[in-house]
Formats: sequence, C-alpha cells, structure tokens
Amino acid sequence: MLELDKLVALIQTFLSDNIQIEWLVKLIEYVLIGVCFLALYAVLALILILLERKICAYFQCRLGPTRVGPWGLIQPIADMVKILLKEIIRIDKTDKILFKVAPFIVIMGSFCTFGALQFGKGVGGVDFNVGLFYMIAISSLGVVGILLAGWASNNKYTLIGAMRSGAQLVSYELSAGIALLTMVVLSGSLQLSDIIEGQAKAWYIFQAPIPALIAFVIYLIAGHAETNRGPFDLPEAESELTAGYHTEYSGIQFGFFYLAEYLNMFIIAAIATMVFLGGYQPFQINADWAEGFNNIMAYIPTWAWFFGKVFGLVLLSLWVRWTFPRLRIDQLLKLEWKILMPISLVNLLFMTVWVLIFD
Amino acid sequence: MITYIKDLVSGSWALLKGMRITMINFWRPKVTEQYPENRETKLQNMCERFRGELVMPHNEKNEHKCTGCGICQMNCPNHTIKVITRQETTEEGKTKKVLDKYMYDLGSCTFCGLCTQVCPQKAISWLPNFEHAVFTRSKLEKQLNRPGSKMAEKKVVAPAAPKKEGGEGEPKVQ
Amino acid sequence: MEKIQEYIHKLAPKAQFEEGGKYTTAIVEANDLRKVAAGLKEKGFDYLMCLTGMDNQDSFGVIYHISSSKEKKEVIVLKTNTTNREEPTIPTVSDIWEIANYYEREAYDFYGIIFVGHPDMRRLFLREDWVGYPFRKDFVADESINPIPTKVPEPDDYETVPSYTINKDGKLERKVKSLFENKDCIVNIGPQHPSTHGVLHLRTKLEGEIIKKIDPQFGYIHRGIEKMCESMTYPQMLYLTERLDYLCGTMNRHALCMCVEKAAGIEVPARAQYIRTIFDELTRIASHLIGWACMCNDMGSITAFIYGMRDREKIMDIYEETAGGRLMVNYYVVGGVAQDIHPNFVNRVKEFIPYMRKMLKEYHILFTGNPIAAGRMKDSGFLTKEQAVALGVTGPSGRASGWSCDVRKIEPYAAYDKVKFDEITYNEMMSKGGNDYGRDNVLLGGTFARYMVRLVEIEESLRIIEQLIDNIPEGDFRAKVPAIIKLPAGEYYQRVENARGDFSVYIKSTGDKNPYRVKFRSPCLSLVTALDPMCRDQKIADLIMISGSLDYVIPCIDR
Repeated sequence: MLELDKLVALIQTFLSDNIQIEWLVKLIEYVLIGVCFLALYAVLALILILLERKICAYFQCRLGPTRVGPWGLIQPIADMVKILLKEIIRIDKTDKILFKVAPFIVIMGSFCTFGALQFGKGVGGVDFNVGLFYMIAISSLGVVGILLAGWASNNKYTLIGAMRSGAQLVSYELSAGIALLTMVVLSGSLQLSDIIEGQAKAWYIFQAPIPALIAFVIYLIAGHAETNRGPFDLPEAESELTAGYHTEYSGIQFGFFYLAEYLNMFIIAAIATMVFLGGYQPFQINADWAEGFNNIMAYIPTWAWFFGKVFGLVLLSLWVRWTFPRLRIDQLLKLEWKILMPISLVNLLFMTVWVLIFD
Repeated sequence: MITYIKDLVSGSWALLKGMRITMINFWRPKVTEQYPENRETKLQNMCERFRGELVMPHNEKNEHKCTGCGICQMNCPNHTIKVITRQETTEEGKTKKVLDKYMYDLGSCTFCGLCTQVCPQKAISWLPNFEHAVFTRSKLEKQLNRPGSKMAEKKVVAPAAPKKEGGEGEPKVQ
Repeated sequence: MEKIQEYIHKLAPKAQFEEGGKYTTAIVEANDLRKVAAGLKEKGFDYLMCLTGMDNQDSFGVIYHISSSKEKKEVIVLKTNTTNREEPTIPTVSDIWEIANYYEREAYDFYGIIFVGHPDMRRLFLREDWVGYPFRKDFVADESINPIPTKVPEPDDYETVPSYTINKDGKLERKVKSLFENKDCIVNIGPQHPSTHGVLHLRTKLEGEIIKKIDPQFGYIHRGIEKMCESMTYPQMLYLTERLDYLCGTMNRHALCMCVEKAAGIEVPARAQYIRTIFDELTRIASHLIGWACMCNDMGSITAFIYGMRDREKIMDIYEETAGGRLMVNYYVVGGVAQDIHPNFVNRVKEFIPYMRKMLKEYHILFTGNPIAAGRMKDSGFLTKEQAVALGVTGPSGRASGWSCDVRKIEPYAAYDKVKFDEITYNEMMSKGGNDYGRDNVLLGGTFARYMVRLVEIEESLRIIEQLIDNIPEGDFRAKVPAIIKLPAGEYYQRVENARGDFSVYIKSTGDKNPYRVKFRSPCLSLVTALDPMCRDQKIADLIMISGSLDYVIPCIDR
C-alpha cells in the first residue's frame, strides 16, 4: 500500500532505464541515499529535540516551548538556526587539531550506524551479513570522540567528564553486547534483515518470553547508559562538571555533540526495536481467530511500524531520564559489573538452553 | 544471593513507583503562566497590595494630598524619592510651602514600603503593576504629581471650633 | 550565673563584669583571654555563637558570644580590647573553638585586628590588595585609594597564607606559607558554577575524583550591609535583612525587629506575634522546599526541582496577597506587621496545608525512596555532633548530627511558647513515622539525615501553622511606635531560628537614631566551613550533593 520499497524499486528501474552506464547509476544512487540519510538525520534530530522539550516540560508540570509556531512546533528549527549562527570560539590553549576533529568523530559514529538500520521492508542503507556486529562496533566509535574532546579542551572539567565517559561506555558496551548476543542465539543470524524476517510470525520478545524480556530490559538500561543521558549523564553532569566534555565547545561544534546525543537515543531505540520488537514487522497474533486482526495490523505500512515502535521506546527513555537522579560513578560501575553483567551472562546461558529445548 | 535478588526487586519497584509519580504529574494541569496572552486577566487579578510602583493618586479635579513635608524622602533608605517644593503666597498673603515636583526613581526603589507607611497624609500609594521594562534608565525617573495639579484643600474648618478630634480633615479623594 | 562569674574571676582576677544585660557579660584583658576561653570550654561552653569586631575609638574590641551545647540557655558574653590602634593584636581562640578560625578572619578583614597565633590570617571577604579596613570609623571610602581592579591578581596574592606570632622581643612576626603545593590538582568550583547556589568559590584539591581539601573563598557578593546599617535608622535597616538570606527574609527581619522592640521596650500585640509566627513557618516551608528542590537538582533530578518550586509558588502567592511582596516580603515592621492579614489569608493557608502534605508524600516516593538517591546520600558527608558544635553548624544540619539547637525551643519568641511542636533532631526524625522510605539508610549526621530532617521539619511547620491559623487573636496588628526610634545606649542581642540555623542580630547603640555597630550572625558561614571536614575523601559529585544538603545561601555569608 504505502510501502516505501516500491518507491525505491521505482527509482532504481527509472535510473537504470535512462542511464545505461552502470557505474553512473550506482553513483547517483549512492548520492541519493546519502542525501536521504542526511535529511532524515536532520529531521529526526529536530523531531527528537522538540519531543524531548515538550515531554520533559509535561513531566515537570510546564508547557515547554509555545512561542515559535503553533505549540512551539518550529522551536527546534529556531534552536538549530541559533546554533548555526553562533560564533565558534577558538580557545588559546587547546590541542587545535584534536579539538576540531572530536565533534566529527562523535557525529560520524552515530551517522554510520544510521546506514545499517532497516527502516521498513526493503528500505535501508546496507544490509550485510554482520549487520548487528557492525552496529555495535561503529556505535562505540563515539567514545573516542568524547575522549578526544575532553583531552583536547585542556580543562579539568572536560577531562574528568571524558574519563568518566570512557569508563562508562566501555563497561556498558559489554552488557549491551551480551544482551544482543542473547538474541543472536535465538535468531541464528547477525544479518539484520534475517533477524527481522525471523520475527514475522511473532516478535522475539514473545518467542522466548523470559530470556528475551530480561535481555530487552538489560539492553534498554545499558543502551540508555551508552547515550550518556540521565540518569547516566555523568560525563556531562552539569551540577558538578558544568557541561562535562563539551564545556569548551560552542556553535556548531557543540551542535554536533548535541545532535549525536539525540540521534544515539534514536539509534539505541532502533536497534532494540529491530532485535526485540520485530523491527518493521507488524504485531501479529499467532492464532486462527485473529486473522482479521492480523490483516488490519499488516495493512499499516512497515515503516510506520518501525518508527512507531522506535518512538515508543524513545518516550520510555525520556520518561526515565526525567524521573531519576544521576548516579555516582561508583554506583554506575556497580550497576554494570554487579548487576547487569552477571545477569546478562546467566541470561545468555538460559537463552541457549531455551533454544536447545524449544527449537 | 537472596538479599541480592530482594534488593534488586525492591529497588526496581521503588524506581517504578517514582516513574508513576512523574506520569501522574504528566497529566496534571500545567502551571506555566502564558504571560503576554493572559496579560489582561493577570493585570486584573493582581493582588491589590502588591507593591509594583509608587504612585500619587489624584482626584477628578486633578488634586493630590501631598503637602511636600518630605518625611517620605527622609525615610527612604535609598534616596529614591526627591520632594521638591516651592514657596507660594496664598490669597491671604501667607507664604506656604507647596509641592513642586515629586520625583521618584523606580530604578533604585527597593519596594520596602517605608514611604507609604510614614506618609501622614496617605498621599502616596502602591500600584500593583509589574511591567516596568523600559529602554533607557532615565525613563524610570518619574514625576508622580501630574502637571498642573495642586493639593486638595482640606475641609474648611470653622474658626469657632478650632480643634476637632480625630482625623476628620480627610479630603474626599478616593 | 553567679557561679560562672566567680569562675571567670578565678581565671582572670582582673575581669570586670557588666550588669543589666540579657546575658552574663565579662570584660577581660587580652592577655587573659585564652585562659578564660579555655576555662569556659572546659566548663562545657563549646559553642562560639558569634564573634563581633568593634571599633572603640581609642582601641579595637572583640566580643564573643559563647553558649553551650548542653546548657543551651546559658550564654556568656566575653569582651576584650586591644591596647592600641596602631598595631591591634588579640590572641587567637581558633584552637579552642574551631569556627573562630573564620570569625577571626572576618574581624581582621573589617577591623585589621591581628589575631596572634591564628594559622590563616587572610582576609575573608575583601581582596588581599584592598587598602585599609572598611569597618573602622576612620576609614575613608575613596575610589582613588581602592580603585576598581582591572587586572587579575598574581597567584601569590591569594595562594599564600600569612600567620602572626609574637617573638621573644615582644615584636609581631609574620610568617607565610603556601596554601597548596605546586603539584596539586586544583579545580575551581565557582564563583561562576551551576551549582554553588550563588557566587561562592571553592578551591578544591582533587586526586582523580576524590576531594582532598577544600578552601572556600567568600566575598563575591559582599555588600557591606553591616556598614550600611551604621548610617541608617532602625526602620530603614529592616529592608537590608531580607537581602541577607533571601530565602528566609521574614525570619531575619523578625530578629532585627525583635531586637529593636526589646531594646526600645515596645510591646508587640498578640495578633502580630501570631501572624509573625505563621509567616515565619511559611517561610521555613518555602525555604526547605527550595533546599530540597536544589538538592535534587544538584543530584541531577531536575523534575523534582521543578516540583519543589511549583509548590513554593503557592506560599509566594499567599505572601503576595497579604504583604504585597513575594521574595522580599517587607512585612514585619518595628512594633508589629505592616498591614493586617488579607481576608483570604486564613482560607488560603488552610487550603495549602493538606496540599503540602499530599505533595510531601509524592516527594518521598519520587526521591526519598529512589534507590539511586538513597544510595548516594546514605554513605557520604558525615558530620559528628562534636564537629557540628565546634563549627557552629546549627539549624537542620546541626540537628541532623544530633545536636538539639533549635532557638525556638531554647529562647522561645513570638508565639512559639504557645504551640506544641517537636524539635526535629536526628532521633526525633527517626521516631516520626513519615520516613519509612529510607529508614535503614539514614545514619546520624549524614547527608540523608540532613535531607530527612528538612522534610520532617516541613511537616512540623505545617503542624505549627495548623495550631495557630484558627486562633489568631483579635486586636491591633501594630503597636504604637515613636516616629523616630532611638534605642537607649547599650548592647542588644537577639537570636532567632531561621531555616538554616541560629540567626542573630547584635546591635550596639549609643542612644542615637542610628546604631553604632550592627552584626548579623550568619548561620550559613559555619555551614560552608563544615564543607572541608565533611568532603575530605569523598567524590567530587558528592561535594555538590553535600553542599546541597547543607543548603547555604551565599549573600547571608558575605553580607
């Protein structure tokens, strides 16, 4: 019906019919995809910023932005314009090159992850056989940027923030990885399209309810921690470190960190959606009486399913962010190494047994 | 091991209860003041005692009650008030001190209310107005007596009864 | 009383005693001071309440108000004078009462009195390159002498710590040592920092995330309020008190009003007393709400911060309706209150009480019961009772350490002797049922204890208001006071319990309409000085939380 894969196919046939040179077609396609991703990236950031500001305001009994546009809808655009227009302040005693490179590394980390997401049936950048592995690997590139930013700023606050960030990301990467690994045991593939297709009848979270649910919760916590957002926002803990690793950045350089943080929130939610909640697969009940229901669900386009689920998870993350106080560094590490890590290891074993018994 | 699981469960339960509170507040009416939109109602509902700005009430005949005694100026801790008086001869030939200019600098006023408390004539009062923003500081220096205004005449007391008890001499302003 | 006089007389035979004051007053010579001070400390007088410098025209004086943590009602006033104006010296008592360390620095800053043997004779509020001592009566306030500084001071100016001793020849000797070592990692927290609650500068020595030493630097918002008061009449001074600790303005004003009223012999009508008590308690709730909210914000829970501010707004509205001001209420005047209460006042307060109780429950669920918050608060920022007394940490923070120091109970004022309420010390707080949320975690003198004491005090304040609100007596709201208030010559001291502790006012009058000297005892100064012992070997994230739990207000310190 409103599927995007037909549009993609249409563009492809149109291009290959009109331009006979194969490499040129490929080139144009790549450029088109790149532009689409950039646009999507920017639009998602705007939506997420507005969402965050509105939701946070509502949790706090406020109204949030209301001035720019109806209900403040154009507020994030105004924010972006402000950030673009702001002066990039050059600081005397920084490490000049690293200081400039850091924001790009951070944003590259999140942008590259974007390429492997499956937004709908047949809509996605690349889909290769180690997709999930690639995602885990590339999304942790961001920490390098954060460490560089903290070091290059030549400031004690930023350095403390960066070191905290390093400790935090390295630890939480583990349980996030193991939680995903648990699901790989169930799916038997690292390719994202395979993982999603495997959930056509029932999402993984329903296929193996107990271990998958545990893995899901662990992944949400660890993923939330990886995005450096409250209650895990120690690297930028504004009450003690003013702004943590990005204290010295201004203008669009700060904007890059800001964007990456929001998009990371989206990416974590997207991975959780793809691996646990069936990605773009509609909600299906595996029973004869539910056929009508299943048809109605399948009628909704796949990309709508994907974004719906992702934004649901983003909302959950916002709810958590605006409820809890920040952890202290020792609590943070304790949570990872004493709670999440052992549970996820046991859970991995549990899942293996589950798969052996039920499949 | 059992305490470990117990702590885990009770901790998560407490976290969920906290999330419930924020969710309840999510649906509560919001407290944000929509200021320029609700300006009219806001101005109407201001508490009448709110000390926004010092004013000198005038009656319909453009008369005020200030005698220019300067007690408010003496009492003001910040030298916000300047009472400038001039000598005027009345019809009977007496010279009399009358108010020329009553200068009030809103910019240095601390709104302590001493001036209105000490004024023996109750000639000055507070206006519950909160919109004080102007572009230059000089605009905050205000003259409170209107141009051409004069002091309200006290009720002429018959010379046969020179002293009357109580503050009956109040003019009919306000 | 007699006994103490005898005791002091035995320690210092030359001591003279002043009659007629509220408290036992002894004048001792500077040479005998340490002997008397140590003797009094031995007798149990372990709480140095207030230390006031004084310009006696021909010499300088220092006045010590000393109290005891056991015999709470006993207050002794010690006075001592320097022998000259040129090189004024007085022996230090900073080793006897720890808090004197900072109080003496203040006296040095304002009067140039050198405290011999003091380990750290830096200025407290003014810059090191300030010329002259501003509170001396012959100080010339001329901009050409003290121009507005245009350059950053050399590190030597603020990194070196001078101290003075008297050598064998009787000459004053200056020694200098440096505050930090070169290899120390020092992080400046403040003066511009999101969570120092004002312009406070904490120079923090760090090892990784661990704090090793804190050196607070004050004076960024020093306005010389005490000096300003010397040129004002008593009613004029009142408005300055609300600018000290702006969160409990009414209580500070209450202290000054009472001090003047008692000195001038003005009888305050019962109605005004009741209204004042209700207002004080409303202010206490508002202040504790801000304290709670800011502490939550310091710990990263911004939502809780907004909830606290939202509920405080209700109190501000009540203020506005009756008094006409919100933050600067300007309601109390000498002899009573400025206006009668608004007709809606009683109803609005009555509506507020159940609302606040309901919200308190939510606060407990949202934050107290939160395992993250409880885990952070339970094992940090301990202050023993002895430390609290030595550093003069009063108010909720002192009571959380188990020191019952509530002035409302010690010297009941206004209508506090007519209501039933409990002083919320640590034990009292633990026995009240309302804190089941983190009960096992609340340890004596810790951050959690201070946090809980504040929340339980809100409940207690609600209880006080509930008892008073229906029983406001009819009658005048303001006594007749003379147009120009002149206090008879003498010295007056009045304590009140504000939301942060023992706030007191000292007035010396020479019978004029202006005071000769005014001193405000700031409870917040002792709170900040307690940061260093509390935060050693804690994490930097906890420094912010601990300072949030102490709930100090900087303008109150800097005055």
